[in-house]
Amino acid sequence: MDELILKLKGEIIEVLNLEDLQPEDIADDAPLFGEGLGLDSIDALELIVLLEKNYGIKLTDPAQGREIFQSIRVLADYIQANRKK
Amino acid sequence: MTNVYLLDAKQISVQSPLVDDWMDNPLSYQEPYICAIDPNYKQYFEPNMARRLGKILKRALLTSRQVMEATNITNPDAIITGTGLGCLENSELFLEALLRDGETLLKPTHFMQSTHNTIGSLIAIDAHCHGYNSTYVHKGISFESALLDAFMQLKNGQIQTALVGAHDEMTPKYFDLLQRIGYLGNTENSFSGETAISMMLSTKQKINALCRISGVEMLYHPINLKESLMRLLDEVQCSLDEIDAVMIGTNGLPTNDRVYAEICPALFPGKKLLRYKHLFGESYTAPGLGAYAAATCLHQQRIPAHLLAPLNPPSGRKSSPPEGDLGGFKHILFYNQFENKNHTFILLSSCGK
Repeated sequence: MDELILKLKGEIIEVLNLEDLQPEDIADDAPLFGEGLGLDSIDALELIVLLEKNYGIKLTDPAQGREIFQSIRVLADYIQANRKK
Repeated sequence: MTNVYLLDAKQISVQSPLVDDWMDNPLSYQEPYICAIDPNYKQYFEPNMARRLGKILKRALLTSRQVMEATNITNPDAIITGTGLGCLENSELFLEALLRDGETLLKPTHFMQSTHNTIGSLIAIDAHCHGYNSTYVHKGISFESALLDAFMQLKNGQIQTALVGAHDEMTPKYFDLLQRIGYLGNTENSFSGETAISMMLSTKQKINALCRISGVEMLYHPINLKESLMRLLDEVQCSLDEIDAVMIGTNGLPTNDRVYAEICPALFPGKKLLRYKHLFGESYTAPGLGAYAAATCLHQQRIPAHLLAPLNPPSGRKSSPPEGDLGGFKHILFYNQFENKNHTFILLSSCGK
């Protein structure tokens, strides 16, 4: 799981162009939206594309995103359980 | 009669950004493809904002913010943008992803930044401007089209202030294509540059205004260029004799420069010819930098020697340009032609005149 969390942090930094951040700057349990990383709705779309492209997970229900994108750890848990690649 | 003033302009190009250093310390280049010198954007933008902006958007936004701040016009009546290629870098990324991944896995950020009018929209959102907002995409006359729109609306009293921008970026892939068709960078004297210039126009003169824009004329396949020029000069009550210099768009490419060599001696006999593309390089909206260079000369009442076009007689013999600091300038005419189809005159006058 730790390996996946680290990989996920790197992918998020790259996809969202968070150029001033390093993986260690992102706390595993910090909220991704609002406080914490301060991501917004466009970032949510970017993360949906990332999930499908890198892990074969297709999110169809927008409400699902609210739950899954709570934190890096929650997201990693979801990927672990649902990944198709 | 309503006058139109060019209050100030800010540029990011292959010359030192946001300053007029090119007047006294011009940078010169030998390579055919040169990218703009970007300032440290971290000084100007919050990281969370900057991360989603491509190069062209950062340049356009910063030059716009700076010119709005310098002129104390933070909410112009109109934002009018000229761009030949728009947000090219992101357009390429978007299209490449489309080819590679299909239509279902496209990044929204690249999509949002792949339209030409993203530039004007972003400036308007940032400045909270809800007024007229238009983008002109007409290859080599994109800037002039935007300027003409602003000029006519200002003259007609529809608006009092306008932020006019000319923005283009270049990517290695697009440069390669342009080079292959002979449009860019095939001779040692020509190079491709990048343009970001924002200028504030107003019907009210302010202290330190760069110049007055006396007339703008755009022509397509003109039957008689001389007649069109004389008509413009008549309209603004200026004679050819009163024009101190003519800024032209020679860029080192024979197909382009030949047109100027044929037209200029007949159209502007004995006039001092100035150039700017040897400093800023070629791009579809480079004329925006040319107009800014001419306006800066008028404002500072001096023409640096390096702006004087080499006096090339038809034989091809070159002679050194003479010293250019003369002072007392009243009018500089900007003349641009694109592929010998579109011809533009912009008459710039010193504010005292």
